[in-house]
Amino acid sequence: MQITFRNFCIFITLLFATIFFGLIISLFIIPSFTAILNSLQAKEMMYSLELSLITSAVSTIAVLTLAIPIGYALSRFSFFGKNFLKSILDLPIAFPELVLGLCLLVFFGQTFVGKVLNVLGIKIVFTKLGIIVAQVFTALPYSTRILCSTFESINPRIELVSRSLGYTEFETFRNITLPIAKEGILATTIISFARCMGAFGAVLVLAGGSYMYTETLPITIYLSLSYGNMDMAITSGIVLVIISFAAIYMFEKVDRGRTWHF
Amino acid sequence: MAFLEIKNLFVDLKNFKLKNINLKIDKKDYVTIIGPTGSGKSILLETIAGFYKPTKGKILIEQLDISNLPPEKRCISIVYQDFALFPNMNVYENIAYGLKKKEKNSRIIKEEVEKIAEDVGITNLLNRIPNTLSGGEKQRVAIARALVTKPKILLMDEPFSALDVRTKDSLRDLIENIVKKYETTVIHVTHDLDDVFRLANKTIIMKDGEIVQNGYVNEVFSKPLNDFVANFVGANVLKGEIIGKKDGYTLIKIGRFVIRSIDNANVGSKVKVYIRPEEIILSNDLEDSIVCSVEKIKRFNNILWIKLSNDCFTLNAIVTPNITEKRISIGNKIFIKFDPSKVRILEGNGC
Repeated sequence: MQITFRNFCIFITLLFATIFFGLIISLFIIPSFTAILNSLQAKEMMYSLELSLITSAVSTIAVLTLAIPIGYALSRFSFFGKNFLKSILDLPIAFPELVLGLCLLVFFGQTFVGKVLNVLGIKIVFTKLGIIVAQVFTALPYSTRILCSTFESINPRIELVSRSLGYTEFETFRNITLPIAKEGILATTIISFARCMGAFGAVLVLAGGSYMYTETLPITIYLSLSYGNMDMAITSGIVLVIISFAAIYMFEKVDRGRTWHF
Repeated sequence: MAFLEIKNLFVDLKNFKLKNINLKIDKKDYVTIIGPTGSGKSILLETIAGFYKPTKGKILIEQLDISNLPPEKRCISIVYQDFALFPNMNVYENIAYGLKKKEKNSRIIKEEVEKIAEDVGITNLLNRIPNTLSGGEKQRVAIARALVTKPKILLMDEPFSALDVRTKDSLRDLIENIVKKYETTVIHVTHDLDDVFRLANKTIIMKDGEIVQNGYVNEVFSKPLNDFVANFVGANVLKGEIIGKKDGYTLIKIGRFVIRSIDNANVGSKVKVYIRPEEIILSNDLEDSIVCSVEKIKRFNNILWIKLSNDCFTLNAIVTPNITEKRISIGNKIFIKFDPSKVRILEGNGC
């Protein structure tokens, strides 16, 4: 077979897809089915799964609430320092999650803001609220990027026409922009949820890895590995893989024919 | 009293500026804005719509200052070249969208939508979604959506430029009829002089963010104020000198030829002379004629565009081929004459 550039690219794609697939499959074949079933029924697993789902759902709502106006502002309006703000908002994508967690820990633990919140009874460090805060900061940059790209793909003249037909800026956003952007918003929801479910470093540092308290699924993997409970660690991994796979599959469904700019 | 008046309008968009725009438009006027790309035509249109804030000056409709009103309060509709239909709504909903803001009675909305749909010939499309329509159909929907709210002014930004020649022509007919029927005042940005001749009673010519000339179409095209306008509207510009007056005509020497004009100018002054291509007369007799050779010929439907030259100047002429075709071929010598009433003089800018 003639080695062409096309064949080379396809070969590399197939090779790494196979390796990734092998990595994922290895999770499923190493432990016994009974071990997985037992781990799934364990109190710790049920707790961490429930906590992960609840915190991720709340965080996803918070992320969307923030990312929609941020994405719209960055895509539509010209204002002083816009590019600088864009870079700041993108920073966590390049940050190691642990560093992000460290920043959050210092900010909410050591600074004036953290102390004021503490006095007001809003405790973030080493609490469940901390999980949500860490997840929001982890997922927000990705969501902002997807939504910014979604809004940029909408012809601004459509909005101008709506304005000329008697609708205010907000009414136009609600009646025209949001419905047109619904696929992008759905994709953002899926990606945000998956990012929140998988958030580890920032959650560990800010919320602490407390057994059966701030224990999300990634923390369960970490704690189980520490105790040497491989079955529990692998089962948590399998649950996360299934959730991630479902999210990516849905994202691909929604994403078909669209282009996101990360 | 002008219906729309723009006074000393300045708009600063950092990379582009509109400068000292002054304009008066009467009710039911059909005004075209023409000018080269980047001259500020669309920005002027969108400033009138309220999408850009003026840094200085006023926009008045029926003496009411609307300069600081948001677009939704101006009662001005806009139609774009890319149609800008709402993809999340069907044709009926697109047209009804503006009406719903003003009218809550769904029966009245339905009647109004059906009426305008009939007027623009899209009754059969009301249940379709925009991306299943052709370009011409989409623009009909956009026109219906803009007119159904009975705007004080209809703005159109190159509405036909994305359409083929036949569709363009049928939409011109539609616009011509419907703006008359709805008694709408229209401001239409275009690059196509056919739009100007077919639809407008007034025209504005812009360059570098300024209005260089505006007025009735015939006036602007027959008497351009300067070289730029003359070139833009396709007039021939010749340089000459006033050598005297005879029988009420001004005599202009252009190279070795002398032509006449009814315009006045001081004897001895260097001038520029404007002659429209379609006003050049092909002549059979040698007396008072100028001999030229044919350099280029282009055929457009039922007219011929020819480039003529001699040792003194080069001219573009537009002629109908039926009477002249035999004589017109590249390299042939032909004789031309100018009607003195069509020869316009701009004093003081000659060579």
